[in-house]
Amino acid sequence: MISGYLITVLITVIIYVILAHSLNIITGRAGQISLGHAAFFGIGAYTSALLYTKVGLPFWIDVPLAGVVAGIIGALLGIPCLRVRDDFLAITTMGINFVVEAVFLYIPFFGGAMGIGGINLPKWFGREMTKPEYFVLILLVLVGLLLLDYRLGRSWIGLAWNSIREDEQAAETMGVDVVRFKVLAFIMGSAIAGLAGGFYAHFLTFIMPQNFGFGQSIVILSMVVFGGIGTRWGPLVGAIILGVLPEIFRPIMEYRTLVYGVLLLGMMRFQPGGLLGPESFLMNLFRRSVFQPASKE
Amino acid sequence: MKRSVVLAGFLSVLLTFSFFMAVPVRAQETIKIGFFAPITGPAAADGMSAKHAVELGLKEVNDAGGIKGKKVELIIYDDRLNPQEAVAIANKLIEKDKVVGVVSGSYSGPTRVTAPIFQKAGMPMVAGYAVHPDVTWDPVQKKPNDFIFRNGFLGEVEGAAAAEFAVKNLKAKKISIISMDNDFGRAISSGFAARAEKLGSTILTKQMYKFPGEKDFRPYLTRIKEGNPDLIFAAGYYNEAASIVRQAKELGITSQILGEEGFDSPKFLEIAGPAAEGVIIATNLDRDDPRPLVQNFLKNYKKAYGEDADMVGASSYDAFMILVKAIEKAGTDPKAIQKALLETKDYNGLTGKISRFVQGEVVKPVQIQVVKEGKFRRMAVIDNPEVITPPLKQ
Amino acid sequence: MLIQQLTNGIAIGSVYALISLGLTMVYGILKILHVAHAGVYALGAYIGLFSFRLVGDFWLSLLFGMAGSALAGYLIEHFLYTPLLHLPRIAPLIVSIGLFTAMEEAFRIVAGPHTIAYNATVGLGDLSIGPFRLTETQILILLVTFIILIFLWAFLTKSRTGLAMRACAQDAETTSSFGVNVKAIIAINFLIGSAMAGAAGVLIGVYDNQVWPTMGSIPAYKALAIVVLGGLGNIPGTVLASIVVGLVETFFIGVLAIPFPRDAVAFVAMVLVLMFKPYGLLGKA
Repeated sequence: MISGYLITVLITVIIYVILAHSLNIITGRAGQISLGHAAFFGIGAYTSALLYTKVGLPFWIDVPLAGVVAGIIGALLGIPCLRVRDDFLAITTMGINFVVEAVFLYIPFFGGAMGIGGINLPKWFGREMTKPEYFVLILLVLVGLLLLDYRLGRSWIGLAWNSIREDEQAAETMGVDVVRFKVLAFIMGSAIAGLAGGFYAHFLTFIMPQNFGFGQSIVILSMVVFGGIGTRWGPLVGAIILGVLPEIFRPIMEYRTLVYGVLLLGMMRFQPGGLLGPESFLMNLFRRSVFQPASKE
Repeated sequence: MKRSVVLAGFLSVLLTFSFFMAVPVRAQETIKIGFFAPITGPAAADGMSAKHAVELGLKEVNDAGGIKGKKVELIIYDDRLNPQEAVAIANKLIEKDKVVGVVSGSYSGPTRVTAPIFQKAGMPMVAGYAVHPDVTWDPVQKKPNDFIFRNGFLGEVEGAAAAEFAVKNLKAKKISIISMDNDFGRAISSGFAARAEKLGSTILTKQMYKFPGEKDFRPYLTRIKEGNPDLIFAAGYYNEAASIVRQAKELGITSQILGEEGFDSPKFLEIAGPAAEGVIIATNLDRDDPRPLVQNFLKNYKKAYGEDADMVGASSYDAFMILVKAIEKAGTDPKAIQKALLETKDYNGLTGKISRFVQGEVVKPVQIQVVKEGKFRRMAVIDNPEVITPPLKQ
Repeated sequence: MLIQQLTNGIAIGSVYALISLGLTMVYGILKILHVAHAGVYALGAYIGLFSFRLVGDFWLSLLFGMAGSALAGYLIEHFLYTPLLHLPRIAPLIVSIGLFTAMEEAFRIVAGPHTIAYNATVGLGDLSIGPFRLTETQILILLVTFIILIFLWAFLTKSRTGLAMRACAQDAETTSSFGVNVKAIIAINFLIGSAMAGAAGVLIGVYDNQVWPTMGSIPAYKALAIVVLGGLGNIPGTVLASIVVGLVETFFIGVLAIPFPRDAVAFVAMVLVLMFKPYGLLGKA
């Protein structure tokens, strides 16, 4: 018997996994620092919420549209953004996060600080979906995204991204249209984050601007970093662990955020590749204990 | 790639195990009441205050033998002022902990998000001080959440009561408003402005400041000073309140300052210092209330926790007690508890006598307190039914 | 009232300058966005507050706050940043963000989630000329900032170490080949920048009469915007940008009465300026 509580946690975790995955495309694959990813999460959530509550579009339409809108805005914001240097990019993405949050907070159309409520779970077969069914739905979406990622990784887009991540200037001189691929990563990353936003809105039934601020961007970034930037499974693992952590740590309520910060700090300081990074302590442990050394004979 | 998949799988399994390990063992026969508050995070001060007050109430109830002989068990959760967590908490309380009723010691965000969940599950909840109208009202189906009850005042009601006092008692003709720009601030300042203008006064300026985070009010106050109002109606929680009051004094502003329940905290007095003297507030806790219920609470709270109780604590305590009384009357069936709550009449609460609930909102007098010699003292009570009856929502 | 608002703006701008300078100095020499600098700022406020409770003298507490922050800054540089200099920039940045998060929580756990009142007596007195008032705390801020800036200017332009520091910011490798102990220079850079942040913390603690765990949150982002606005690594630019932001914020609220979120001013200003001057107000390529 799967309890409603467990399902709630699972759904939240899957949404975070999708988010971490989307950020990984921008930061991990294409190597662009994005410190404001929650902005696209928010744009998707609000788009979905507004289309649902004000226009009356059903879930099956407003969520994909949320992804599209987030992707478009990602492109618009991304293009000028990506012409700037590393550090400027970091600050600019932070700034975008703040501006987007401020827009949601201060413009009454978006519900202001009170947010938007009344966003229900999708309907199908004439009735409202149950939570377990919703879980399966977004799980399928996640699987689809991972497959897509796998295919992309092997395509010329993936190769271009690799080259940009390794050495941007070298890639440029080799004829790779760096800006175009960066923008592409930005669009994909923000579109998927927007999708996640749509799922989130319909699940939580109520969204507030504060959910999509810098703090949230850091949570997502932590998941990616913790698991391993640029790896395929790293962000997934990072999101699962850090998503479930608040539940396990409930008994130690007081120290949760502290642990979070220390984890981030420690991870980056001692294991910058993340848990699943090539040089990580965990990988080495696994290599030695589980797998036979290659050169046995 | 293969290695990392195995690793990922291994970690996930490990996690799932520890996850189930963390689930606590079922306790024996007690009456379980759920409680959530922002115990850590940005609102930790209020969360702790609510938690302490409710725990005090719990002790009182259990020391007196519990409810009809059974001990009450409080299941406490920290929502960190995060609606997501609140949703998880609500589901936990319903499915895992199987409580019979819930007390919200939290702000509007978490309370509002959980209200529809409790409503749907037929679980009664009494909110201590969360102010958003949607807590007790379903905006989509346009009907009240009849399992949800609110002990605190609606913003409009408190603002209107403050205006009533400002115009009728303080004879303020020119008024400036400064308020935090959130749901409560907007509700209370429009409630105030509407009533004040109805009674014939003029609102000179209405400024909203960003919340949370604003500490430097000098630009706002300098502008207010220009208009030389009789009265400044200020809305904010204790930090902002203290800053406004101090900086107003620094800048040489002499207008009377009228605040609201957010000012109602010993922290306000501590941070504002001597500048708090003479400040008047609209709130729900009357320190001079002679009833033993009030005086004992104030005394016991101070004894147990070393600080003075505040509005948040008192409101949460009341919410808890209201629920307990309903359970006492009706037993542990949620529907019966709801009925008992709906039938509340002339309830003698810590934060005032509740005549009745209207669509889940209280009808009770608003207290006007003044800071005299560094302490909150009674100044007046607003019980004009026109003012304190919450408007019907449709 | 315009003059009053002017003072309000310059006062807050001065504090912004004290915080942002440390940030720009660190960036100038290590090219790291030291987000945890805001944690160092808050730490200064806390140390100042508690030392004031202990010794009862405001000026001493200011010194303690500055010293405590300086030490913290040094430790961060030595144990967290320098070992990561060989990695891509995102690594120390994330370490910094993690550290900042942890610091804010540590403040909350150790000192409590509540706001604590500084309640210090400074002993300067107000200055009143007609309806215009320079309040005691505003005088304090202007005085302390002025003194610190003079010292900084003298240090950077007149002393050998200061000169070496500017050289390091331009080109560390070449400078070290001249026999300059770059490690020591970096350490001093952090010490000075962090001390200024500590001073800013104490000053705000007294100006607002409040010290609280998340007091660094807004400065963390605002200082970054200010630093970019002024020109990353550019010291006069940062001072200019800080004052500009302080003034614009104040004027938007007090004079123009535009309901524009105060904290967005820094970012909007930054974006606007970057469109015309991509390296900031006074920055060079």
